[in-house]
Order: sequence, then structure tokens, then C-alpha cells
Amino acid sequence: MRKLLFLLMAAMLAIGQLHAQQRTITGKVTDEKGAPIINASVIVKGTNTGTVTKNDGTYSITVPANAKTLVISSVTMEEAQIDIGSQTVINVSLQTIGKNLQEVVVTALGIARDKRSLGYASQNLKGEELANKGEVNLVNALQGKVAGVNITNASGGAGASVNINIRGITSFTGSNQPLFVIDGIPISNDVDRTNSGPNGTLGDNQPANRALDIDMNNVESVNILKGPAAAALYGSRASAGAIIITTKKGGSARGKAEVVLNSNFSIQSAFGLPKVQNMYGEGTSGVFNSTSNNSFGPKFGSTPSLANGLLLGLSANINNVNYTAGQTFPYEAFPDNINDFFRHGTTAENEITITSGDAVRNQILSIGNVTQKGILYNTFLKRTTLRFGANTAVGAKMKIGGSITYTNTAQRGTIGGNNSGLASLLGLARNIDLTSYRVNGTYKNANGTNNYPFSGVDNPYFDQFENPLNSYLNRFTGNINVGYDLLNWLNISYRAGGDIYTDRRKQVFAISSNRVPAGNVRDEMFFRNEINGDLIIRATRNNLFTHGLSLTALIGQNINQRRFQDIAVQGDQLSVPGFYNVGNGAVFSVGSGEASTLRRLLGYYGQASFNFRNYVFVELTGRADKSSTLPKNKNTYFYPSANVAFVFTDALKINSDIFSYGKIRASYAKVGRDADPYLLNNVYVNGAFGNNVASFTFPFGAIGGFGASSRLSDTIPLSPEFTTSYEAGINLQFFSNRASIDVTYYSEDSKSQILNVAVAPSSGFRTYTTNIGELTNKGVEVNVSATVIRTRDFTWDLNGNYTRQRNKVVSIAPGVDNSPIPGNAFIGSIPSFKVGYHYGVIIGGVIPRSPDGQRLINPATGTYQPTVAGQVLADPNADYQFGVTNTLNYKGFNLGCTFDFTKGGQVLSFTAATYKSRGALDITAVDREQPHILPGVILDPASGKYSANNIQISGQAYWQALGGLQSEFNVYDATVLHLRELTLGYTVPNKITNRLKLAGIRFGLFARNVFYVAPNAPIDPQLNTQGAGNIRGLDLQGTPNARTIGANIKLTI
Amino acid sequence: MKKISFLLLLFISFTSCKKYLDVNISPNNPPAVPATTILPTTTIGLAFANSNDLDRATSALVQHIAGVANQTAAYDIYNLDGAFDNQWNGEIYGVDLSDLQILIDQYSATSPAYSGIAKLEMAYLFSIATDLWGEVPYSQAAQGTKSLFPRFDKQEDIYQGNASLGITSLFDLVKSGLADLVKTSALKPGNDDIVYKGDLTKWARMGNTLLLKFAIQISNKNPSLATSTIASVIAGNNYINSNALDFEVPFGATVGNQNALYTFNNINRTGDQMLSTRLLNLAKSLNDTVRLAKFFTKPSGAFVSFDNGSTATAPAVATRSKYNAYLTGATGEAPIRILTNFQVQFILAEAALTLGTPGNANTYYQAGITASMQKVGMTAAEIASYFATNPSVVTLSGTIEEQRKQIITQKYIAWIGNGIEAFDDYRRTGYPVLALVNNAAGDNPNVIPTRLPYTPAELAANPNAPSPRPKTDVKLWFAK
Repeated sequence: MRKLLFLLMAAMLAIGQLHAQQRTITGKVTDEKGAPIINASVIVKGTNTGTVTKNDGTYSITVPANAKTLVISSVTMEEAQIDIGSQTVINVSLQTIGKNLQEVVVTALGIARDKRSLGYASQNLKGEELANKGEVNLVNALQGKVAGVNITNASGGAGASVNINIRGITSFTGSNQPLFVIDGIPISNDVDRTNSGPNGTLGDNQPANRALDIDMNNVESVNILKGPAAAALYGSRASAGAIIITTKKGGSARGKAEVVLNSNFSIQSAFGLPKVQNMYGEGTSGVFNSTSNNSFGPKFGSTPSLANGLLLGLSANINNVNYTAGQTFPYEAFPDNINDFFRHGTTAENEITITSGDAVRNQILSIGNVTQKGILYNTFLKRTTLRFGANTAVGAKMKIGGSITYTNTAQRGTIGGNNSGLASLLGLARNIDLTSYRVNGTYKNANGTNNYPFSGVDNPYFDQFENPLNSYLNRFTGNINVGYDLLNWLNISYRAGGDIYTDRRKQVFAISSNRVPAGNVRDEMFFRNEINGDLIIRATRNNLFTHGLSLTALIGQNINQRRFQDIAVQGDQLSVPGFYNVGNGAVFSVGSGEASTLRRLLGYYGQASFNFRNYVFVELTGRADKSSTLPKNKNTYFYPSANVAFVFTDALKINSDIFSYGKIRASYAKVGRDADPYLLNNVYVNGAFGNNVASFTFPFGAIGGFGASSRLSDTIPLSPEFTTSYEAGINLQFFSNRASIDVTYYSEDSKSQILNVAVAPSSGFRTYTTNIGELTNKGVEVNVSATVIRTRDFTWDLNGNYTRQRNKVVSIAPGVDNSPIPGNAFIGSIPSFKVGYHYGVIIGGVIPRSPDGQRLINPATGTYQPTVAGQVLADPNADYQFGVTNTLNYKGFNLGCTFDFTKGGQVLSFTAATYKSRGALDITAVDREQPHILPGVILDPASGKYSANNIQISGQAYWQALGGLQSEFNVYDATVLHLRELTLGYTVPNKITNRLKLAGIRFGLFARNVFYVAPNAPIDPQLNTQGAGNIRGLDLQGTPNARTIGANIKLTI
Repeated sequence: MKKISFLLLLFISFTSCKKYLDVNISPNNPPAVPATTILPTTTIGLAFANSNDLDRATSALVQHIAGVANQTAAYDIYNLDGAFDNQWNGEIYGVDLSDLQILIDQYSATSPAYSGIAKLEMAYLFSIATDLWGEVPYSQAAQGTKSLFPRFDKQEDIYQGNASLGITSLFDLVKSGLADLVKTSALKPGNDDIVYKGDLTKWARMGNTLLLKFAIQISNKNPSLATSTIASVIAGNNYINSNALDFEVPFGATVGNQNALYTFNNINRTGDQMLSTRLLNLAKSLNDTVRLAKFFTKPSGAFVSFDNGSTATAPAVATRSKYNAYLTGATGEAPIRILTNFQVQFILAEAALTLGTPGNANTYYQAGITASMQKVGMTAAEIASYFATNPSVVTLSGTIEEQRKQIITQKYIAWIGNGIEAFDDYRRTGYPVLALVNNAAGDNPNVIPTRLPYTPAELAANPNAPSPRPKTDVKLWFAK
């Protein structure tokens, strides 16, 4: 393998050598003010020989002896042509193109477009804005940088999944994750969930959303198509928006072979843990109890007595030491006992990229590896990517290109959530020294079983080391495209590609695990395969009908197939401890089985784009899809879009340096969406009863059992669902385009959704698949960018984005007020959609209130009256969000920082509840021994009058009254400010790199999740244990977020 | 131009493969299954419904057990609001009643053996629903698209029928099932009948025993129907009259097949519930601790109980008295007892006493105690000794009401582990006399709940559900 790589590298370098020439010209390219221009291209006219300028604007090019002219260009600058003559140093000053700003963005179907011609909002990010900043998941790296996008990660665990929604939720129960497209080929960003324990996906720490497999160093740009208008040509799949990723090509080095070496190393630590008290230790009601994980015991420093339990009345095991009755023991706080459970995670990332060739014929080979040790012991993420891409031309008219990427991702995580070891760590009794259980391996007994003083829960280290979930993924993504110019105005191309992966999982529960006492092994394989083909015929005519009117027309055909298979075999009731072959089980009927889906789609589409004098743009699109998932007589559906853009500064000939550019745009789009597979028929399912506290699964011995699925099919055939969107926007630029503001307003209406709507459970069924319900989304997005300062050596760029998004459930079905979001949930905090509310509210029990809004107290206990079920407990939808990125450049130095701020939204935090009810949270120690009175009123049933609560209760009763897992007291305002990213880079000047015979050296330092300020929450409220999906706003005692600090070096040879 | 037309052809050729899209049949779930796979599901289902959360709540309400943590602790102090979605949705109406309806719809004509059994199981499940919630969906329930939002029928109509509303009584449903059992049937159950292995005569006994249970349940309100029903069942002499005929649903010893009493108490929620101090005191007052030890463990050699609703620190989990092998099996294989000989004997004793049905009340009473003691595994010597040393306990004496109290108290002990039956009898007769729990809360902290609150999912999704829901202190029709 190594030899092969060497040969490949040698071959690629040799291709570069073919272009070796005889004369070297050096120089510097600057703007009219003398500031260096980076990445300006310097090309020998009439050849493919060229280079680009470095960060200081300098270049060095070897030209043929017969070279006559250098063409120097840059995106925002007027092109310059310079006669070479006999010069060896050529310095060039370029003029800014004031009104002809051209920003090329990649739109739907991979079509590169000038941004000014777009009648809808899109936002473009460069690969270097994402890579090498301490994040390995591309979706996380987008955090804070894009307007209209919501990103929340599940946790800081290695490879935890990340949720992304663009412009909110448009489908009640379908996927609301955007479509991910790499080089024109849709890829999977699915989350495949494994959990053989009784908690299902509530068990935390699921392997990642599969965008994790993307190596950001391969990414040239990411364009976010936000609404249906932008994504209309992608059809159904992109109704939740699309993330269009364009990978790097080999030709950027203009004919020169180049090797880029890139290395990162970073350290992660647990982040966002609540503050704890260290005054009181283990026990209840002021009395020490070695089997209680509550910190309501005696105050540290109390004189030991039988009454306070510090003089032991019975023998006890405390911090792994046995004591007998009548003994005392060290009773002291371990202030860091929770923090110390986490280790410093490390991430090492190394890439090598070799490129050669020119703009037409080029190759790229890259190999990258990420090795991450998680902040939890025994967790890791290892990802290796290997990518090869090439483009070439056959004759003058045909272009062929393609790339293939192989990814190997291995992940290990462990369970968390309710009743897990991790949950017992939260608010751990303050005098417990957990480290002793790890260092000596005594988290398990000599016979391998769980050792922990608390019952009903595993030692957290036992879960970490003995109950892992492993994932080994092999993935290929690739594409090939062929384009042919039939006529000089007519091009035909075909692009085919695929994404295929298998993810082999193994989940283990050791014998004596609290969740699965008999132990089990689950071997599971996820297989996904998507094949996509597009035939596109494109015609361009200039000066059509009249001078200055040009038309680009496109017709296309799309074929798409998605196959999914999940096969699992689970062995329960293990015989031999620690032997994790599924054959070691005695029962194989629980959790074993297969789920497969196959869906196909044929699409036909067309687009006509008119451009009048480069200031009026009108575009019409239409697409008809035929889907396999809809009834045969209703499986074809058509949807159109139209958009218009008007650059009024050009049209009106406003020629001002102050107000340099102005564009307004508007669009209308309708996007259809098909159903999920297999919703048209009623089916039977294997018989099973119960949940995580008690359950039964067929077969019963040798007797099989089946029952009707709880989902009913409609008696009326399904039809596709549609989202209609209107969007308007304005983009203004000032001071020769140094400052820009872009505002977008949109309104979307999704009707007749294909919905498994709740029916009365007494009908014998839970849901009914039908076309029903309506959801609306309205929002404002603002992007601001400015070059605040630009001098010869110093620039300060500012980018900001603002998002305000309002979602409303207009109707569900007649008689249905709310319906749960499909997925696992705890009864009492069910993520739901409810008429008149934002999507995703959490429904549970709320304490009854007096007419003036005060909570009612139970006069018998002095604590609150029992809750009334079925109320809205929390709303995870934020009021608004903004992100700000500052970039400062001084000579070779580059300083960047990204803040993001979320206002509002709520999170139900089981984590915070646990800290509270266990008496571990710092505030629970304040005046602990004083009588407490809960705020509220008491109803006198005789008079019907309310009086203020005056019943004194103990500190413990007080905090436990406020500490219920699903209590309204543990719903927190998720307002939070994060310093998300801080980077410092230094590009070594050419003088030095030239001496080292290198093309460039860049050093960087970065930090992620540097700090947060959450004024109303004791935790970092920005996490969502269930990760990617429609369920949001729940922190279910999972892994905390992580802070990352690291360094980067990039060498270009 | 030639090239263009070639490409157009290619384009069109893609569009004509109709079969390409014909892939929407699920490979994961069958569109139809035989009756032999549905019957085991419904039978396990009704036992699961009986023994899962409804059992925990009712066992706490009748103070068989005391809740120590989590949901059972909430039920113990009458905090019932928001609970039982899973029971209503997935144990009674969903899966079970819906599948029973499928058996009836598909097999009444050709294989009435299956529809007959289905009607009996259905009658039992509906009786659980109405006995716990009162007015419940019945005549329109569990029929899928025929009625997505079923009407709630009154309890008196469910038990007695109401022709004008098209409601068949539970008694008639049972009788219709009994009639099906004796019809010619193309298919007959065998091992898929996990209780009686295809012996339809035993199912007939089960059906007649259901009639006894229903009759005594409504005896406060319709004594004449109760009397005539019981008299006719006695005359037919075809009911469960020995422990060997008990309608009890078997469970297994392996993961996934264990009964819910075991998986809850011994596996998943080991610290949530334990023996109630009040039951312990009752058993002690009756010198009945030998039998109690069959129901509850004594890990430290003595009973370790907990008072209902207490906020005191509970004893260490390992020392607590929890359900014993009679209820849980060694590893979950104990059957769930639904209709039993001891139950029948106590019903007949009470009916003889209060309704004047044939037979001697004291004879039935003593047969009931004996059947229960034999059932839990007491030896003949232990039983004889108990009878010898406690003549006042095992002999009915005093006023009719006092004798009734004796009968129901014995029935209450015999039903430990089946809280639903004990809860029914308590609300019907007021026996045994139970004190409020400590720290009572709930809809009304001054009254032991007399019904369960409607469940959130049904309230949210069914416009026909009573709204606002009745409080848990509103008595049901059958109650005293």
C-alpha cells in the first residue's frame, strides 16, 4: 500500500515536471491603495501556465522562453495584461471593479452562477472558514456563521451527532434536515441509531450524523441554499434546504504540482458543567447514608455522632474502603469529583494533499486522518479519508471529470441518560471520590460485576469501560461527469454518482449492568446506498430578440434510488462474562431483525434564466417528479418556481463610491415532497409490549406473535405534500463594496402534509397516515459584512448574521390538538406539535395556578400540588440568533473570532434537575439548614380564597420539590452567548519560505467553545441529547459539551 | 442534429420504465398473518395489561405495596394525572383490542373457535377498562378507520347493554363468545392457545367465570341481573372450580418472555416498590404471615415493609420485602393469574350471602381460603394448622355486612399481585377498610381515588373524550 502511494505521488509530481520551464519572474500584486491581493491569478497568456499570489500578494512564476504577456486577474479587480519583455520582477497594481462585482456561487445541480443574478438568498462559505478550527464535524463548523440556520449538537462526546435545520421545520414528521450534496451528488447525512438497552434512543451518545465523514480539508466551498426557491431544482429532497459542498480541484495551482501538508492537534475538556456546593455531603435529612447519592447529609466538619451517621451504626463501604459499625471515616468534599471523571480529550488531524495540473486537466489526491480521544474514557473517533479526483478534456469539446472518496470512520461511545452511570455522576454526592474506582479498576468486582455503593445504577466507569457502543464505517462516495459541447451554445452533460456505506456496530452490556442485568451483545449493520444520475442539456444564447438579453435554458432528467438496510442480531442473557460474541447469548429474539427500505424517484426539470444587460434577471423553473412511495395514480407531481433580481444601481446608473451596489430580489416557489416508503398499506408487526421498566417481546419460546401495526393507512390514497414559499430580499453595498448588508424576508406555508397523525388511541391504533395539517414559517435573515479597516498591512473584516424565525402549527387534523413527534420520549415530557404553538413544544405536567398565576401549594405538605398533565412545558424555538465573525490581518498574522448568540428558546434539563434534587448544585447549600418556604399560594376550600404559602419545609424538601426531572422548574431559558471560535494564524513570509524551498508555511492556534454566558441556566443550554432529528430541547443527562484548544500547521511544497 | 435526436431518445427511454417505480411493498412487515400468531399476542397482551403499570397503581392504591420511588411512589399518594398512556394505548385498546377485533372480523364465519376466544378476551379487557375509568370507548372502540374517534359509552350501558345506542352488553359479548366456541370451526387453536392448549371446553369455563365476575361487579346496581346470571352459571356447573382450571397466562424464564412483575421489581426498577406496612399489619392481625411470605420475600429473615406515602428514608434495597416467587417466578416465569378458582369461591360465597344464590356461603368461603393457600404453595399441613388455630378467621360470623367484610378481606389477600381485582372489590364493597396514605395529594387528598384519570393521549386526540376529565374522587356506577 505504501509503495503504491509513493508511486502515485511520484507520478503526479512527474506530471508537474512536464511543465518545467526556463525563466522565473517574481513580483507583487496590490490594489490601488497598495494592499496586497491574495490569490490573484498570474497566467502566461495563451497557455495554462500560471500561479496565484500568496498572502502577501507576491508571486513567483516560471515562464517559457517564448512567453510574451502575463495576464493578472482577481475576482474583485480589473484584469491587467503586462508585456514581459526582459523583466524578471513585475509588480502590478490592479483597479477594483466597482460595479461589476462577481461572486461565483454554486447553486442547485452544481451550476456555478454569478451571485448577482440570483433571485433568492444563499450564503457561501469557503473551506478555509471551516477547516482547522477545532471541529471535525462540518455541520458544527457552520455554527454561528450562517443566517437562517439552527445548529445544535447532542453533546461534546467524540463524534456526537449534530442537528441542523434551515429556516425551521417545514414537515411535521418527515426529515427536516437539509439535503447534503457533494459535487452534485446527494449524500446521506442520516443518523443511524443503535440501542439494545431498554431506553431506546434515550440512551444518549449515538454515533454521528454522517456529514461527519466529510473531511473539511477537501472542501473548497459550502453554499447553503436556504429555501425552496434556491433548491427547487433539487425537488422534494431539498424542501428543507440544501448544503451544497464543492470539493477542491487540482487545478488551482496553475500548472504546478503542489503538496500541502496540514496538521492539527487539539485538546478537549468538558465544558458547561454546573457549579456545585462543597459544604454538605452524602445523605438525607442531615444524616449520612453511604448508599444515598444525595448531598443532603451532614455539613462537612460536623462532629461524628450516631445521630448524624458520621459515627457508623452499621458497616459500610465508603469510597471503596470497608468500615465497621462504630468507626468513623474521612468525611470531606471532593470539589472536583465530577470534573475529574472526564479526561482531556485529544484530537490529532493530519492531511496531505497533492495536486497537479491546470484549470482543465488536473488531479488531486488527498489523504487525511483524524484521531480523537473523547472527553469520556474509552471513547474515540478515528476517521481516515482517501480521495482522488481528476478532470481532463478530450479534444476541444468534451470534458470528463470525477472523484472518488473512501472514508473509514470508527467510533466508540457509551450510554448515558436516565439511570445510566453518567446520570449518577451528575450531582454526585460531594464526598465521593470516584477516581479511586477507575485508578484501581475497582469499578468492577473480582467477578466482573458492577461495584458501586448506589443501587439501581451503574458505576459511571463501569458504563464507560464495560458497556461501549462501537461503530466501524466504510464509505465510498464518488461521481463522474461528462460534458460535451454539441454546439458553441449547446452543452450536454451527464453526471452520475453514488454514496454507499456499511456501518458495523457492536453494542455490549456487561452482565450486572443496571439496564441489562443479564447482559447482551448486539451486532448491527447499517447499509445505505444512494445512486443518482442527472442528464442536463444547457443552451445559452446572447442577444436573444434584442441586444443585451441573454437566455440560459436547461432541461434535465434525474434518476435517484435510495436503499437502506438495518440488520441486527442480538444475543441476550450472556453465559460467559466479558465474552462478547453474540453466540454467547441464550436469547436471540429480542431486538434481532431487519428493516429495509428502497425508494426510487424520477424527475424531469427545466429552467430558463433571462439576463437583461446584467441588471435584470428573471428565472423560471419547473420540475415534475415521479416517486415510488406514492400511490401509482398520484405519483407524478409538478411544481414551479420563479425569481427575479434587479440590480438597480446599474439600471439607474447610480455611480457612487459611497452607495456602490444595490439589488432587490423576489421569488416564489412551490416544492413537492413525496411520502416515506411503505405507508400505503396496513401491516402487522412482531408482538411486543411495555417499555423500559417492563417489557415482553415475541416469540414466546417457540410461539410467534404478531399484531396489527399501530399505524393505519388512509382509505383515501395519499398525494404529495407541498410547501409554498415567498421570499424577498435586498442587498446594498457601500464604499466601493467594502460594506454590505443583505436582508431577506421569507414566508413558507406547508399544507396537506403526509402525516402519521394521532388518532384516538381507543380506535385501537395510534396514528393514521393521511394528507392533513398546516405549518407556516416566516423569518428574517440579515447578513452584514464590512472591511472596517484596510491599510497596507492591516485589515479588519467583520461578518455578521442575524436570524429570526417564526414557526407556527396552524392545524393538525380535525379534533386533534397535539400529536407527538415520532421517536422515543419519556412520558411526562413528550416533544410534540400543538395547534397554535411553535413546532416541537414539549408537553408534560404543569403545576396548577391560582387565577392570578401563582402556583398552588398542597397544605398537607407545603410542597406544590401535583401537576396537571398535557400542558406545554417548554418551547425549544429561539426568538432570534446572531453570529459575528471578526477577522483581523496584520502582515502575516491573522486573528479570527466568532461569537454566536441565541435569545430565548427553552431546554428541559434533566441534568440540572439531577444536580438540584441531589443537593449538589451550589445554590442548594445556601441557608440549607434554615427553614424554606416555596413561593406559592394555598387555596382554602371553604372560602375559596388564596393565601400566601407560609408552610416551612426543610432545605431538602424545598430543593427536591424544585428538582423533578420533568418539572417546569427545570425548564431553562436557553439564551446563551458563546465565544464559539478563536483563531490566530501566522503565514511565514515568502523570504523565509523561499529559503526553505517551500511554497508556504502557515501556523495557527485555535480554540472552540471558549466560553459561554447563559444568564438563566446553570448549564450550557445549547445541547440536544437526541442529536439530529425533529426532537429538540431535551438535555437527558448526557455528555456535556466540550471545549477545544489546539494548534495547526500547514505546509505547502 | 443526429446527436441531439439520439440524446432525446436516451432521455425518453429513461422515462418508460414503469416497473422501476414499483417497489413500495414493505419487506419488513407482513400484510397479513395467520390467526395462530395473533392469539398468542392478545393473550399475553391481556396478562401484560393486568400486571404492568395498572397493577402497580392499583396495588399501591389498595395498599398491597408501598411506592418508594418514581411512578409507584407518585401513584401511592394519588398522583395519577398524566399516567397510563402506555396502558390505555398499547396494552388495552392498541395491540390487544384491535387484534381481537381482527380475529372476530376475520374468523367469525369460518373459524368461530378463534372468534369465540377473542370475544371472551375482549370482554375481559373491556371490563378492566370500564372498571378503572368508568365511561370508556366500547361499542365503537378498536375498529380502526371505521371509527377514528370512538364514542365514550356509559358504564351501565357497557355492563347492561343499550339497544337504542347499539351497545351490546359485556354479558352478551361473553355469551356470543360461548356460542361461537361450540360452532363448527375450520381452524382450531392448538399450542397457539398458550393457556388451555386448544381445549375449548376450558375456554367455556373461562367464559362462564367471566359472567360470575361481571355479575358480582354490578351486584350493587342490578342485583336481579347479578342473581340470575350467577344462578344460571351455578346450574350449568361449567365454570372454573378447581385451581387446575385457573385462567392464568404463562410467562417464560428468559429475557423478553418474563412477566412484568419480575422485570419491573427484579430487573429494571428494583428500588421502586415494596411490601406495605398496612398489609403486613393486616396479615399479622390474621396470623396469616405464612401465606404472606409466599407473596413477599424476607431477605433479612423478617418482613421489611414501608408505610404508604411515608417520606421517611426507605430501608436499603437489599433488605426490603418484595414480590416473591409465587408472583415473579424464580426468573420471571410465574403465570399472571386472571380468573381463578379462589376468586370464584369468594364470588359464590358473597353471592350466596348477599343475593341468596344457591350454596352455603361459609362453605364457599372456606373453599376460597383453601384454594388461595394451595395456590400460593402452602402445604396441606400448613393449611390445616391455619384453619385449626384461626377458627374465627376462617368461619363466617356476625351480620351479613360483617361476613361480607370477612369474604372480601380474604379475597383481598388472595389477590396480592393483582391489584386491579382488589381495587374493584374495595370500591364495590369498601373492604378492607383502608386509611388514607401519608402525605396524600392528587385530585383530592382526602379520598382514596375511585377511578383513574383519563390519559393525556386520549384526551388530546379524541374530541369525544369527557373534558375536563372527571376527578379521581368521582365514583363509578358500580361502586358502593
